[in-house]
Amino acid sequence: MRTAESAFVRLFIKCKIYEYMERILDGLGGRLRKSAIVTGAHTVRSRLRMMRKVGVKQVQLATMREVMFGYADVPCLEDVTVDIRFGEFVAVTGPNGAAKTTLLKLMLGLLKPWSGEVRLAAKGTDGRKLVVGYVPQQIAAFNSGFPSKVLEFVLSGRFAQGSWLRRLRAEDREQAERALRQVGMWEWRNRRIGELSGGQKQRICIARVLAMEPDLLVLDEPTTGMDRDSRLGFYELMSRQVREHGRTVVMVTHGLAEAAPYLDRVIELRRKEDGGWKCCTTTSCKGHFSPAL
Amino acid sequence: MEMLHYDFMQRAFFAGALIALIASVLGVYLLLRRQALMADMLSHVSLAGIAAGALLHWNPTATGFAVALAGSVAVEWVRRTYKTYSEISIAIIMIGGLSSAAILMSRSNALNKSFSSYLFGSVVAVNRTELILMAAAAAVGAVFFLLLRRPLYQVTFDEDTAKTAGLPVKWLSMGFSVLTGMIVLAAMPIVGVLLVSSLIVLPASLAIRIAPSFAAAVWIAMTVALGGVFTGLTASYAFSMPPGASIAMTLLLILLAGIGAQKGFVKLGKRIHRTRDRSEKESPARIPRLSNKYSYMQSGGEEK
Repeated sequence: MRTAESAFVRLFIKCKIYEYMERILDGLGGRLRKSAIVTGAHTVRSRLRMMRKVGVKQVQLATMREVMFGYADVPCLEDVTVDIRFGEFVAVTGPNGAAKTTLLKLMLGLLKPWSGEVRLAAKGTDGRKLVVGYVPQQIAAFNSGFPSKVLEFVLSGRFAQGSWLRRLRAEDREQAERALRQVGMWEWRNRRIGELSGGQKQRICIARVLAMEPDLLVLDEPTTGMDRDSRLGFYELMSRQVREHGRTVVMVTHGLAEAAPYLDRVIELRRKEDGGWKCCTTTSCKGHFSPAL
Repeated sequence: MEMLHYDFMQRAFFAGALIALIASVLGVYLLLRRQALMADMLSHVSLAGIAAGALLHWNPTATGFAVALAGSVAVEWVRRTYKTYSEISIAIIMIGGLSSAAILMSRSNALNKSFSSYLFGSVVAVNRTELILMAAAAAVGAVFFLLLRRPLYQVTFDEDTAKTAGLPVKWLSMGFSVLTGMIVLAAMPIVGVLLVSSLIVLPASLAIRIAPSFAAAVWIAMTVALGGVFTGLTASYAFSMPPGASIAMTLLLILLAGIGAQKGFVKLGKRIHRTRDRSEKESPARIPRLSNKYSYMQSGGEEK
């Protein structure tokens, strides 16, 4: 009797708390409430489900509509229509010269398309400004002996958050350390980045991007120069970023066979009959035709 | 220390210190952005401005400054348009600046003497206006580099990734170019047009070679520049040499000595650390497999 009573009381109190929370959230306005609920969700998938439930329309992270672009007077990309949704692991593939890098740069807004529409969501799933981490294929600064320690460099990924003048907290250092450990480069933290090998440079770039805690990770052939174990480790790492941290990963890769088990979707660039390149979205072996939700 | 009793020497030391500190920091960024020639170019262009100002009986410093600003904006614009041909555009603008300066100069013979002080620098040429301009340029530069040191690090490393990280790369780049123009013009009376880039390039190139980290590179560049300017000015007073040339020569000697010392240390270090290096190379350098707990723990990852 007593236990039943106390259980009832507990339930009652819980209900009251929820009621107050509702009221407070209502008072704060609808948008905040939505984002609060969405942040509370545990995994990406449930987060996305929640987002749809509370009416957040923005599930598209990036959209490209009939985009055309070329460097000289001939277009090298035509009829590109791509949707990237939140919480997807997408690979971009195609033969050499198929404008894969160009596609990424267009998506990121580094290049302006001749025609068509490119849109990148302004906010991430948590309602804050979208954080984008980009790892280009080659970075010129590496060749000129950029004087920087590995740790200093990875820590610069934390600059993306907050004010330019804020003091770096212990949390920032922890994130940088975790990122370096995740790519297996923690022991190299005090080296100059100029001393590292090509594959190692690639990995500290990935670590810097991981330290940013981005909503969207865009990687241009990240596995070039990595041995097989590192490649598999890398795919697992990215997969975990997507499944557990709710991030979206878009990467250019040639090693589709190895990466396939982790991917949600593959965007393939194919040659059109008249010579240009177009874009085909194919499903991965997971069997989802639309982006997996 | 008797030289410090002279008013003009005090001014020269003060101005030299300011410029040394700010120009060397600027140099680190310029070198890493592959714009080492830009300072040279801007100094030649602003010389044309100074000549024009003198000819039109306006304040030459003001016209020089205006032209330097215009030049830095033009360079930024050209750089954006022709990314791969930046050296060519710099050379073209430089030739234009120097030739028009020489032509304007020849129009008024009375100015020839002060022009030689512009070309090679002279402590006597530092007057009150220039000192104020220098202090202002140094102050603006200090604020710029202090407030924007993090964005600048990111932009200097790579513009594309900085842009995707949400930085206003265009504005930062433009601000940086304008600041370069300012500092160059302020430094001209001290080291002269022809040697302005020595203060910007030499300390930075030594610092970039020997510094273990980015922050260290900035500090080393500042120290080297300060040492070079003070030694150079002292030598110029003691042996009555042109100050610009003696400062540049001192900096060059420091650079050579520094590179030599570094090479020596590397050789020494190789002998001592031969054993340690080998063991370090054997440690796992892989991206750990998350599915394979052993491999993950081995690389120092936390238990999951």
